[in-house]
Amino acid sequence: MVNFTVDEIRVMMDKKRNIRNMSVIAHVDHGKSTLTDSLVSKAGIIAGAKAGETRFTDTRKDEQERCITIKSTAISMYFELEDKDLVFITSPDQRDKDQKGFLINLIDSPGHVDFSSEVTAALRVTDGALVVVDCVSGVCVQTETVLRQAIAERIKPILFMNKMDRALLELQLDAEELFQTFQRIVENVNVIIATYNDDGGPMGEVRVDPSRGSVGFGSGLHGWAFTLKQFSEMYAEKFKIDVVKLMNRLWGESFFNPKTKKWSKQKDDDNKRSFCMYILDPIYKIFDSIMNYKKEEYEALLPKLGIQLKHEDKDKDGKQLLKVVMRTWLPAGEALLQMIAIHLPSPVVAQKYRMEMLYEGPHDDEAALGIKNCDPNAPLMMYVSKMVPTSDKGRFYAFGRVFSGKVATGQKARIMGPNYTPGKKEDLYEKAIQRTILMMGRYVEAIEDVPSGNICGLVGVDQFLVKTGTISTFKDAHNLKVMKFSVSPVVRVAVEPKNPADLPKLVEGLKRLTKSDPMVQCFIEESGEHIIAGAGELHLEICLKDLEEDHACIPIKKSDPVVSYRETVSEESDQMCLSKSPNKHNRLFMRACPMPDGLAEDIDDGKVNPRDDFKSRARYLTEKYDYDITEARKIWCFGPDGTGPNILLDCTKGVQYLNEIKDSVVAGFQWATKEGVLSEENLRGVRFNIYDVTLHADAIHRGGGQIIPTTRRCLYACLLTAQPRLMEPIYKCEITCPEVAVGGIYGVLNRRRGHVYEESQVAGTPMFIVKAYLPVNESFGFTADLRSNTGGQAFPQSVFDHWQVMPGNPMDPAARTYTIVQDTRKRKGLKEGLPDLAQYLDKL
Amino acid sequence: MTKLTFSTNEVVSLERKIDSTDDIIPTEIEDLEYVYEISRCAEWIRSNQFQKVCLQFPDHLLPDSSEVTLKLQNVLGQTIYILGDTAYESCCVDYIAAAHINADAIIHYGPVCFSKSSGKIPYLNIYEKHQLNVDEVKNQICDKLGTFMEEIIILVDTPYLHLSGDLVSVFMDFNRISVKRIDETHSISNGELIVFLCRNKQKLINVQLTFPTIKLFYYDGNSLKMYDAHSRVLMKRNFLTEKIKDSQTIGIVIGTLGVQNYLEVIERLKNLITLSGKKYYLISVGKPTVAKLANFPELDVYVMVTCSMNEIYESRDFYKPIATPFDIEIAFNTNNTENIQFSYEFNGVLDRKLEPLNVQITSRQEDVSLLTNKIRSNVGDTTFVSSEGGTQIALKSDGTLALNTSHGAGYLADRSWKGLEQNLGQTEVELAQEGRSGIAQKYKDEPT
Repeated sequence: MVNFTVDEIRVMMDKKRNIRNMSVIAHVDHGKSTLTDSLVSKAGIIAGAKAGETRFTDTRKDEQERCITIKSTAISMYFELEDKDLVFITSPDQRDKDQKGFLINLIDSPGHVDFSSEVTAALRVTDGALVVVDCVSGVCVQTETVLRQAIAERIKPILFMNKMDRALLELQLDAEELFQTFQRIVENVNVIIATYNDDGGPMGEVRVDPSRGSVGFGSGLHGWAFTLKQFSEMYAEKFKIDVVKLMNRLWGESFFNPKTKKWSKQKDDDNKRSFCMYILDPIYKIFDSIMNYKKEEYEALLPKLGIQLKHEDKDKDGKQLLKVVMRTWLPAGEALLQMIAIHLPSPVVAQKYRMEMLYEGPHDDEAALGIKNCDPNAPLMMYVSKMVPTSDKGRFYAFGRVFSGKVATGQKARIMGPNYTPGKKEDLYEKAIQRTILMMGRYVEAIEDVPSGNICGLVGVDQFLVKTGTISTFKDAHNLKVMKFSVSPVVRVAVEPKNPADLPKLVEGLKRLTKSDPMVQCFIEESGEHIIAGAGELHLEICLKDLEEDHACIPIKKSDPVVSYRETVSEESDQMCLSKSPNKHNRLFMRACPMPDGLAEDIDDGKVNPRDDFKSRARYLTEKYDYDITEARKIWCFGPDGTGPNILLDCTKGVQYLNEIKDSVVAGFQWATKEGVLSEENLRGVRFNIYDVTLHADAIHRGGGQIIPTTRRCLYACLLTAQPRLMEPIYKCEITCPEVAVGGIYGVLNRRRGHVYEESQVAGTPMFIVKAYLPVNESFGFTADLRSNTGGQAFPQSVFDHWQVMPGNPMDPAARTYTIVQDTRKRKGLKEGLPDLAQYLDKL
Repeated sequence: MTKLTFSTNEVVSLERKIDSTDDIIPTEIEDLEYVYEISRCAEWIRSNQFQKVCLQFPDHLLPDSSEVTLKLQNVLGQTIYILGDTAYESCCVDYIAAAHINADAIIHYGPVCFSKSSGKIPYLNIYEKHQLNVDEVKNQICDKLGTFMEEIIILVDTPYLHLSGDLVSVFMDFNRISVKRIDETHSISNGELIVFLCRNKQKLINVQLTFPTIKLFYYDGNSLKMYDAHSRVLMKRNFLTEKIKDSQTIGIVIGTLGVQNYLEVIERLKNLITLSGKKYYLISVGKPTVAKLANFPELDVYVMVTCSMNEIYESRDFYKPIATPFDIEIAFNTNNTENIQFSYEFNGVLDRKLEPLNVQITSRQEDVSLLTNKIRSNVGDTTFVSSEGGTQIALKSDGTLALNTSHGAGYLADRSWKGLEQNLGQTEVELAQEGRSGIAQKYKDEPT
């Protein structure tokens, strides 16, 4: 039975100090959803015996079938903490006096890299993260990625070592080995945290520490877990030591000699590590006696540990009994709840330091202060981080977090999309919110209003937002920052309906698909092809399935996956390129050259961007990339779309009327960088310099009509004379496998143009980690290929890493890149063959 | 047969840039009579007793114009006029130019589009005469199409019409094969197979669009090939309709003054665009070129109202995509559009739904653009209605008269160059002086 009502939850929503918004993040298959079950069952939503098998937060049919989380799922739960535990919460901002109850808004997120945009969306609306690590495989690539993202969003992590049952039953690690494994994982996690967080920063110290209780151990599958706090409470009386002090002694280099009853910092012959002795030994004993059917032994042991079995459980034996015993002794929900309540920040605490990361506007306006103080009476500020499909096809719940003020049913609010700029009307709607709702896993509950610090869903704003946005009642509110994803949509397929008459349904379906996934892109190419772009093969597979079954509901034909390329140059133009306007009265002189390594990435990351102050930007470019300072000050624009990784520099001296044609040149530049000369792909990493311009003295003869097409022609000539190249996207792959399979991995990678840059053994395990770069184009079918070549033992995680120049001039018919260009041209319905320089270059 | 083609073929002249220095070779004097059918023209003029007759040549045939005119004048003993420059497409009969001298007849030379025309002046088409190896065509057809069961129709394009007699006699013995002229397409029915003797891609597309279910082959001078641009052309519509839905300002470009009902189509486009909450610019720039249209950078898409032979639709050099009236119809008119079949011929749009326009505009709901992945609202700028009550005090404006309420003004406001700065009060007042005079190519005060 659910042990709380919606009304109770609504009451709790006002106790902002007793709220914990948290996400569960981890590498794929480390047991997030399984572990989450423990909490869900503690809340009474599912039966305790089913916890660990239900995966309540995997709400989709395919999630259950494939045993993989695809969408992040939110659930709100109410718990009460015992008095003895409440004393651990010392900060007044972490708990209302006299309030024992806690509202936990939990988001379970997917672990597969292809869905990491879901993690990003989950992190944005939470303040704390439960990082789950499988203690058998240790810290994996995705553990690091999500942890890094969490720290960057100022999300405080706590750690949970999962799958202890496997360590004991399968690997048969002895106690000391297991301790070493735990310690290594803790260290690894803390190293990652230290890399991305500054201890002196606003979040303070965020490292995890078992002796403080911010690290949990246990098995989500079996439903048991503990922190050092639980054990210290058991022993505190015996030792007559304070619980907190004892916790310190139960971890790390702390040894106890049972004969002399002395603690020591060093290992001697007679003493034993306290963690092994007091924590692991009893667990090992239970495991040993039950799994080896030593009935007398465990029947004697259980009462000593205070475990009372229920009547119906007494007949069980083996694994079934083990589960019941462990679950009764060390219930996972309890340990998790304590970790969450004690160590994760309340919105009041978190929003103080998160505001400056979240809000784009001035940090002292009404909205900023409302966020900072988590003030329910301030103007409403809510961030919608994703859209959740409703049972009503084509409609969505806008899911997000109220950072300030209160969102209520029927309230009129400003709905601001990511392109909204204050003072303008673009991407801005003022509409009433039809309904506010509470997300409860697979159910929703209507709720009257939701105050700051809470997570909720909205009905009726979905049609004004694509994926994300800001909801506010404050007229001068700026946007809350747009999320930055760690993955990019580099793999694409073209789709068409099997029956051409279904085209309108397909278009409608694509629009719905665009909304339903935080990262997928659906668009129509100029040739008219309908393209879906996603992070990887699995992501696309799920998107296509959703499109076919839920969004379009028609049979669909899909093309083989392809990647998009980028056009670039490898040298400076070998001549000054001149193009004349159609009326011959205007001349542009330009050259192209490649950007120095790293600059394109800096532009992608926003370190160099069009909104910067031009002086500080020039200084940065001069210092880091050796650009001439006067030239670097005269960056006319970035492109494509005004922000892309190509720049146009004005290197002219004393040209008359130059400012007047700037807009036209910029328009031509945007055009040319969007559709490159080789195959109309985007340009990347190209710097164009304008050296000289001659213009007609009469304004009418140097208008946009003369300059825009001429700029494009001139830029094309620059590209063709600067050794054009193609760039392809590259995945970073991390493959975990046993040693015997490593050879097979190399074989597969070699065939697919991949190369290994790191190979190492995961300390304390027989597993190896191979890290490699693999062209995305070669990655189709990679997982299956790898499995078949390693007897199913190797499992890769691939995530887009960078763009890499492909060898070979695409103008040379013998080069591989030539074929790619021709294929692309054909697909886009362009004239086959090579672009002709003479078409773009004019003579004096 | 002797060498009797026109001097340059149409492909060359169509691809030639304005500044092309390629020599245009005039037709040999002795071939003029045959190529331009001078005696037939003279007979036509004489029998109808036309007084003012204009000759219309496409650009690549202009070098022959004076010779042809002289010959005609000699034969007829009356003044004949040459239309020196065609305002729009040379395939359409140029009534407007002819109306300048109140001409009562036009003789049109060169490629022709057979668009129904709006003018009332009688005209005569004299086609080009291209060479074709009729036996080779026969061999190819027997080779490649022998296995097909359908009735075969050999459709003859204008440059080969002079060979239709030969064709008919060559295919006499085949009862499955019949020869038809390009202007006899109305008698073609489904279940047949067309072999089109034609090199003009746009004509091929048009024939295919007219008969989407019929297999189409064409003979390019060397071999017989299957033609299939149908799906490509239709796919392109997906993009264009989406682009039209996305756009705020649409440019209606007048590309013809001769095709029947062009005014009605423009009127209809204006109506549809206004009803959809968008804005339009009506642009008449003579023959549209890249440079002329790029002078309106605030437009999002151009809609070209022109004859169906115009190759501009296939061009990719324009700053913004070029759509057809059909695309606007599909994008904005949701009313029983299912039955409309795509055609470059805009009369097809008018034919199916007659006035008065009974347009139900797409539901005024916001949706996602599949080009930009942004929200677009179909009702333009009226979506945002401020909820401010009337009792509030308005702030004193900073002197700006027009806020960026419309897309066009917004575009101008975003430009970095906003014209010369006045610097009122800072610049000393000076007396007006006489500026330069002359034309832009070279002002009078410029040194030679």
